[in-house]
Order: sequence, then structure tokens, then C-alpha cells
Amino acid sequence: MQFERNAILVALLVAGLLPLVVHDQYLLHVAIMVLFYAVLATSLNLVVGYVGEFSLGHTAFLGTGAYAAALLSTQLGWPMWATIPAAGVLAAAMGLLIGSITLRLQGPFFVIVTLSFAEVLRLVADNWVAFTNGPMGIAGVPQPAWLAQAGNLATKQFFFYLAWAVLAVSLYLAYRFVYSNAGRAAVAVRENRYVAQSIGIRPFRYAMLAFVLGAFLAGMAGGFYAHYISFVGPEVFRFAFMVSMIIMVLVGGKGTLVGPLIGALLVTFLEEYLREAKELRLSLFGLAVMAIVLFLPRGLMGFLTTRREMRTPPYALSRAPQGAAPADWRSQIRCALGRGGAILSGVSGAWRLGKPK
Amino acid sequence: MDLLPQFLANGLVIGSFYALSALGLTLILGLMRVVNFAHGELYMLGGVLGWWVTTALGLDFLTGLALVALIMGVFGWLIDRVLIERIRGQGEEPGILLTIGLSIFLANTALLVVGTAPLKVEGPVSSGPVFLGPIVVTKIRLFAVAVCAVLIVAAYLLIQKTRLGRAMRATFQDPMAAQLAGIRTANVYACTFALGTVIASLAGMLLGSIYSAQVSVGGLVSMKAFVVVILGGMGSFAGAIVGGLVLGVAEALWGGYVATGWVDIIGFVIVILTLVFRPYGLFSRRAERA
Repeated sequence: MQFERNAILVALLVAGLLPLVVHDQYLLHVAIMVLFYAVLATSLNLVVGYVGEFSLGHTAFLGTGAYAAALLSTQLGWPMWATIPAAGVLAAAMGLLIGSITLRLQGPFFVIVTLSFAEVLRLVADNWVAFTNGPMGIAGVPQPAWLAQAGNLATKQFFFYLAWAVLAVSLYLAYRFVYSNAGRAAVAVRENRYVAQSIGIRPFRYAMLAFVLGAFLAGMAGGFYAHYISFVGPEVFRFAFMVSMIIMVLVGGKGTLVGPLIGALLVTFLEEYLREAKELRLSLFGLAVMAIVLFLPRGLMGFLTTRREMRTPPYALSRAPQGAAPADWRSQIRCALGRGGAILSGVSGAWRLGKPK
Repeated sequence: MDLLPQFLANGLVIGSFYALSALGLTLILGLMRVVNFAHGELYMLGGVLGWWVTTALGLDFLTGLALVALIMGVFGWLIDRVLIERIRGQGEEPGILLTIGLSIFLANTALLVVGTAPLKVEGPVSSGPVFLGPIVVTKIRLFAVAVCAVLIVAAYLLIQKTRLGRAMRATFQDPMAAQLAGIRTANVYACTFALGTVIASLAGMLLGSIYSAQVSVGGLVSMKAFVVVILGGMGSFAGAIVGGLVLGVAEALWGGYVATGWVDIIGFVIVILTLVFRPYGLFSRRAERA
């Protein structure tokens, strides 16, 4: 908790100083994309890392946010400081809708149906020409007027700090969620659904909260993207975005707040670096993905913390104080998962043995 | 309403290809619990190889089909042995990521090697029309549907009647018990993946003889196969066939009566509706499976 907070604050501070030293436009663009992807990875991590549901439909929220910001600013003339939060809210509403259907499902069904929702939205964006301008997309999403005179470098710097601010807000919200009772309950469900239910946690509720919060953050990222790139087309829903996001979460280490930030940094630079390889780029990217899954299954954060966890019992939440019943909520969950798991498995084992054939 | 029989026939033709391409996926998903995102790319490789053996090697269609089956069988076996074996028993996530990585690699490597041009697989018969009452079907389509049916029956017999098939079904029911009974489950998994790969690639080659094989087709094929598998219930053989036919007919009717532009959306809408009302697939008898 302490470590994560400090690491995040240091990372944000260091990132915030970057434009003071770097004056190269291309490098600044890459840095902006790192921040943008860091928001996306953080938001996806809430679902994949803390709830433990493998969603492949997160582009639905990115795209909803991007289209919302683009349409609100071009059709209704809303200013940028209003469209980005509005993009988040609309994406959160989409999250509520999609979550209420998909979070009842588990395993491969959840994976495929979240993906289906993203595909449906992509096809709507592609086909509903009157509303979304179809495959042509929405060009000329406005940027603040004063930027036009300020020059390219100032524009990049402005968008860097905007992305930085969106990331800071995202990390703050994610931090508040993860270390709230709701966040701990979500982790309890992830670790052992049945024990969590047995101590009165309703999985659906916390999964939904994480899902909607994740959608909100992804929607804001989408809104930012629309204004920064100044163009939105059906590609925002494309699977490649999803692949980048999920790899970032897993490379860094899911279920930690710092992991996705590291993942966003590494993968964005990997993608940029591979541009040198031209046509081979995506083939190499595919190979890199496979190598990561095979050789770094728990991400960098997992790799770094493995040694410490080897000394503790296998369930992540079981580092509970022994003996007297702990007072606070968090420790109670920990204890319950540690003891209740054993009790429950004993009960179910006895039930299995005694079950009539 | 005059066109209804024609739409139905078109739907059934396309549906039988959907069924064939989903069959391999449902085997891999049902038996191995691997959500194979590289399925569409394996299908694509079948088409590309089919083009290669029928034009560059000049083999006739059926010999070419057998050769493609052999090559892709070995390839599928290797994929399981080299990649998927390492992540067995770790839940779904690593499998999904691994196959996503594989699909990116295969699609883009194929793009480098053969380019974006459509590749015509030399069919065995002409594309002339056949009239069946009010329905018109091309000869090549009839032929392909027949081969499709033969392949589906052959796969069914393989699973129901052979020793390997029995081992596969036993492993599906309970891997631990199967192992205790002396079945080498690692081998069964590799064979299942190989079989799924062969079926996918043959579907690719068959469809490549009607339209053309294209390198970029993988993603769409994977998605349609997922739709069919969800409709049919995972691991269900009959479900995959019925699901394929349902999707084919639904798309043909939608395309015929409503609008051609939105055809691809049908499958996803059906999937979402299906899972809202029957969270474990239309034809799945399995009540609960986490």
C-alpha cells in the first residue's frame, strides 16, 4: 500500500518533469502515447487484475469515449474540458449496460461476449453512417483555439500535461478503489469466490463497480485521444488496441497499480522500436507476445516479487495476523479467506465422500 | 417470398462452412479449454497452402486436400507440443494470449510471404450453375458442401468409433481419471489440436476454391467460429453443426430481406441474446460449469 503509493507518486513526478528536458516532438508524442496507454492499462487492470475477469471488450469503452467526445465537440460545440469527462460518463453508462449482461458469465463465455460487444460497437460505428460518418470517421475534432498560434512543440507539451492529468486522475481513482473495502472485497472474490460469498460478499456488485470505473477511465482516455489525434474512426474499436492494452497489463503485472504503468512504458517503446523492422514488425510483435506469456507469466512485478511470496503461503491474501480476531475489515477478509478456505474445502470434501452414487 | 428457398439454400451452403470451421474450434475449446484465437489463421493457412499445392505443385483438388491435411496436422501437433503444452492447466488467460500472439505472428508472416492478393484455389469442377427446382447453386458449391459433409461425418466417426476418439472423449470427461486409466493425455491433447487444425485448414481450402484464399481473413473467421461455438455450446459436436447452419441461414435471410451492410453484426447480436437467456449456450445441457 505504502510502496504502491510512493512508487506512483514518484512515477508521476518524474513523468511530469519530462517536457522540461525533452524538446523533441517525436519523443514527446511517444511519451503522450505512453501516458494514454497507461490510463487504458490502469482501467483494464481494474477488471482483469482486481476482479479477475478476462475482458477482451475494453475497446468498447475507449471507442465510446472517443466518439462521444468527437460528436459532442463537433456537433454541439462543447469545449474540451467538458467533453473528456462527458466521454468518461457515457463510457461508464456503456459499462453499466455491458457489465449487467456480461458479468453474469464466466470463463470463455465472458471473454467472447465482451469481445462481441466491442465488435458490435465497431460495426455500428462502421455502418451507421448518418450518426458516425461510417468508415470515413469524424475528422477535425477541435483543439483549443489558442494552440493554433502556439506552435507544434507547445501543442505537444499541452497535450502531454493533459494526458498526465488524466493519468493522475485515473491513478487516484484506481488507488481509492483498490484500497477501499469494495476493492478488497473484489480481490477476495478473485482469490476465492465461494469463500468470499460465504462471508457475505456479493461478487456481482464489486465486479460491476470495478467494471464501471474501468469503463469511465477508458472513456476519458478515448475522449483525450479524440482531441489529441483530432480524428476518430471505427479503428478505435479495433482488436489491436485491445491486444496492446492486455499485453501492457500482463507484462507489467496484473493486480498491481504500478505494473500497468511499467507495461505501458515498455510495450509502447517496444512498438515504436520495432518500427525499424518495417514489414517484420508485427511478426516480431507476435513472437514477443508469445515469449512474454511463456517466460514471464506473472509479469515484471510478479517476477520481482516472486521471491518474497515464495516464503508466504500460496494465497495472496493470507498474510493475516494469527491468533486474536483482527479488528479491521481488511484483516477480517484475509483471515476468513485463510481459514474459511480450509473449512470449506474440508466440508466439500466430506460432502463428496458421503455423496450417494 | 419467391426467393425464400434460394435464401435458405444459400444460408445452408454458407452455414455448412461455418459448421466445418467451428468444428475444430469447439474440439479445442471443449476438450483442452483453450480459447484458440489463432483458429482463423489456421483456416487462412489452409487456403494459402491449398492455393500453393493446386497451382504451384499442380496437384488435383482431392490429392491437394490430403496433402494440406497432412502438413497442417503436423503443424497443429507441433503448436501444441511447442507452445500450448507449456501453459496447460494454468487457466484460460495464458492460452488466450498465446494464441493471440500466434495469430498475429501467422497472419503477418503470411502477409510477408504471399502478400495481400486473393489466391484462387483451383477447384475440381467448373463453377457452372445447377438448377434444383426453384434453387440455383453452382457446381463448385455443391461439391464443396458434399466434401464438407464427408469431412464432418469422418470427424464424427473418428471421435465416436476409434481408439483415439475414445481417448479424447475420456480426457474431455475427466483428464485425471483418463490418465489413471492409462491414457497418455498429453498425446491426446496434441492430437486434438492437430485435428482441430486440420479441420480448420480444410475448411479454408474448400472456401478458397469457391471464393479465394486471403491472408487477412483470419480475424473474421475466428469471430464467426466463436459465434457458432457459443451458439452450439462448447465442446458439442452436434451443437457446432446446428449453430453453423443457424448462423448461415440467419445471415442469408438478413442479407436477403433487410440489409446487406449489417450482416456481420447478426452473429454477435445472436451471441449476446443467447447468453442473456441461456448463459451456457443454446444446445448445452451442462447446467453449471465455471
